[in-house]
Amino acid sequence: MNNFDLILRNVTRRKMRTGLTIFGIALGIFAIMVMGGMSEYFDRHANRGLDLMSDKIYIVPESGFFGGGLVDSMVSKVRRIPGVFDAYGLLWMPYDMESLGMFGAFVVGIAPEKQEITLKNVKLTEGRLLVPGDRYRAVVGSNVARQYGLNVGDELEVKSKKVQRASTITTARNFTVVGIMEFTSSDFDYIIGIPIDTAKKFYEMEDQLTYIWAVPEEGVDGEDLSRRIELGVDNIKTISPQELRKQSEQLLVVMNLITISAALLAAIIGGLSVMNTMLMSVSERTREFGLMKAMGAEVRDILLLTMGESALMGILGGIIGIVGGIIFIYYMNEYLATMGTVLFAVTYRLVIISLLFATLLGTASGILPAYRAAKMRPMEAMKYG
Amino acid sequence: MGEPVLRVRNLSKTYMQGKIPVHALNDVSFDVEKGEFLSIVGPSGSGKSTLLSMIGLLDKPTSGGVFIDSVEVTKAREGDVPKLRREKIGFVFQHFNLIPTLTAFENVDVAMRFARVPKSERKKRAVELLTQMGLADRMNHKPSELSGGEQQRTAIARALSNHPAIILADEPTGEVDTKTRDMIVKLLRELSEEGHTILVVTHDTAVAQQTGRIITMRDGMIESDKRVIIDNDIEPASTHS
Ligand SMILES: Nc1ncnc2c1ncn2[C@@H]1O[C@H](COP(=O)(O)OP(=O)(O)OP(=O)(O)O)[C@@H](O)[C@H]1O
Ligand SMILES: [Mg+2]
Repeated sequence: MNNFDLILRNVTRRKMRTGLTIFGIALGIFAIMVMGGMSEYFDRHANRGLDLMSDKIYIVPESGFFGGGLVDSMVSKVRRIPGVFDAYGLLWMPYDMESLGMFGAFVVGIAPEKQEITLKNVKLTEGRLLVPGDRYRAVVGSNVARQYGLNVGDELEVKSKKVQRASTITTARNFTVVGIMEFTSSDFDYIIGIPIDTAKKFYEMEDQLTYIWAVPEEGVDGEDLSRRIELGVDNIKTISPQELRKQSEQLLVVMNLITISAALLAAIIGGLSVMNTMLMSVSERTREFGLMKAMGAEVRDILLLTMGESALMGILGGIIGIVGGIIFIYYMNEYLATMGTVLFAVTYRLVIISLLFATLLGTASGILPAYRAAKMRPMEAMKYG
Repeated sequence: MGEPVLRVRNLSKTYMQGKIPVHALNDVSFDVEKGEFLSIVGPSGSGKSTLLSMIGLLDKPTSGGVFIDSVEVTKAREGDVPKLRREKIGFVFQHFNLIPTLTAFENVDVAMRFARVPKSERKKRAVELLTQMGLADRMNHKPSELSGGEQQRTAIARALSNHPAIILADEPTGEVDTKTRDMIVKLLRELSEEGHTILVVTHDTAVAQQTGRIITMRDGMIESDKRVIIDNDIEPASTHS
């Protein structure tokens, strides 16, 4: 029996109440979209990042800030370890020297001839990579280009800071953008790549390095090689591909927990409000259901009518929440992009899950009220006259 | 006369009001032939509505049975009851007969939906019945826009929609003026002349006088059961005490 018209009629009978209920669900689904959108972005970011980076072994100083840092001479030691195909040093400085270095762009000093092995299949949307002999030239990631509105040929001011006898000296230099990378949804979107020799001079780093990246020979196990590098070179620590994966998985677990909490909260708020609305609506219509049963309605007819109503409210709330979420995420990303970051991603998966969740929520919250309506004894229902 | 369309046999219903039993029906038996137009009268609380709700399968008797078209409907399984209600019974109540959000047409239509009648057929029959009830131009109005008489006629159209064996009407003229009452009674009588079997509960002797048979109830029992010859010539059919 197709009773969609009847369901629609009842849903629109109490416009205010229905509207508020749908709004409640929409808010919940909106929260899922926003949280889920963040989670999806991190998921994508981490996966792409892992794709791009998990073939290398990352070498950092053993004891953080206080022990000795990495120096140039260690690179050749790493390169001599059997199984290492190549190793090279990088200087990695926050672009905004005032920031904590968590978000935002990084200036990365890299030897021009190591760009290819580092960037792998990442393409340029404009311009070229650095070449040997380049000095104050830069290749920038897509978010950096977006944030500062850069095109090839534009100048980008980079500052360095040096503390000298309780006073800081800030040096600024313009770098000419020679290339812009495509959007990778990974850390590469945030880098400003400059020649490492220029970087060392500019930041007055002499032979110091932030990281050494080691590329294993083909067929060599990354985990084994990590251990061998740690044993073979003093004062360093390695982050193996597996550790890298573990770190990013931990972040994802946290993100997913946040999303699930948002979903649970949405379920509780939205579900209770649907249930409340439906219970009210069912008890107002006691005689109507009694009449329907006297007319010979089956239990399942009444179940379908009432659960159809709550499911419809769920679907409508879901659609509004999803559309609201997409609009919010769009403008949020636009805004964040001007500050050099992106935090949300809308995926088909997220939209489908949100809609399914909203529908399920509406339907499930309608079960109890629907049973109440369907189990009504016609005689008693009619007595309220 | 052939096999009665309705047989009520030793029907009793006892309600429990707290710990006190209320014998609403006490060993009631009677037969109704196809096409009969029968009224049930009696003081308030005598068990008229209870009797109708047992026949209409809205409630289960404490003992005894109801047979419609020779089927003991009171023995039906819970799951079969809705189907029996649809096929055997058409109800007309005193008030709250119609679903307030639906138009007259839709109220008739919905009864046939429950019976899984295809849409085109439903439409044809609803229009036909409402036209027969003189509501051709009121079909698309909601109950709140219909007069009491129009509402009752819509309810009658709905009661007829699934070709039931019996029409049960509980005080169908309880809330309408005398002119409308006469119109409804005339309509019901015409339907019985067409072969419909109609049981009507009423307080109104003027209504009862128009029916072919009057069952008077008292304290859950049948006090008298009289056939009425038109022109108010009363002839006893059978009398129970
Ligand atoms: N659900 C119920 N629970 C308890 N007692 C009931 C119930 N329904 C009816 N009764 C009692 O059964 C008796 C018969 O009630 P019923 O409604 O059949 O009377 P009636 O003849 O239709 O009266 P009226 O003319 O006032 O409609 C009454 O005493 C009534 O109080
Ligand atoms: Mg009554």
